[in-house]
Amino acid sequence: MSTVGSLLMLLGGIVALLAGLGILRLPTTYARFHAAGKASPVSFLIAAVGAGFQLGLASSGYLVLSAIAMTLTLPVGVHFLFRAVSATSSSDHLVVDDLASDQT
Amino acid sequence: MTFAAIICFTIAGLCGLYRLLVGPDLADRIMALDVSLISLMGAITVDSARRNDPTNLIMLAVIAIVGFTATLAGTRFIEGPSTQKETK
Repeated sequence: MSTVGSLLMLLGGIVALLAGLGILRLPTTYARFHAAGKASPVSFLIAAVGAGFQLGLASSGYLVLSAIAMTLTLPVGVHFLFRAVSATSSSDHLVVDDLASDQT
Repeated sequence: MTFAAIICFTIAGLCGLYRLLVGPDLADRIMALDVSLISLMGAITVDSARRNDPTNLIMLAVIAIVGFTATLAGTRFIEGPSTQKETK
């Protein structure tokens, strides 16, 4: 087991833990989305690089494919989720609410 | 050392599961599913690296796309009937 690969995978796990902690402890919905939408893909990318070291070049094509698929699609999904939340729930705790001015 | 990585991903998935059960809003639950899906992807990556066989790596791209589609379906559901008009 290449030490660099396992170290990177451990780092990915730790970043995933931070994402989980962010999901648990952050007060508002928006803050939780921010933590989840940003930290969890980073944790997968770091673990994928670590696994790429370990698995060699032939099978890291799968990792690159899934990393590209996730990096392209996840922010769009989280963005839609943010819009859905701001459309339905009250967002008065926001200091600056750009979306509200758009809808008028 | 990679066993600790699998444990970290499992705990992240459990945090997502907790938020799924407790989450005040429906959107929180959708986000919790997304987080646990991605920690599942990380766990699959670490597991295939530990066993050194890349057979089930193809699941990663499938989970990424399915998770994205599920999130979008969830947001359409959240926004309510106004967005689900009958498209002739």
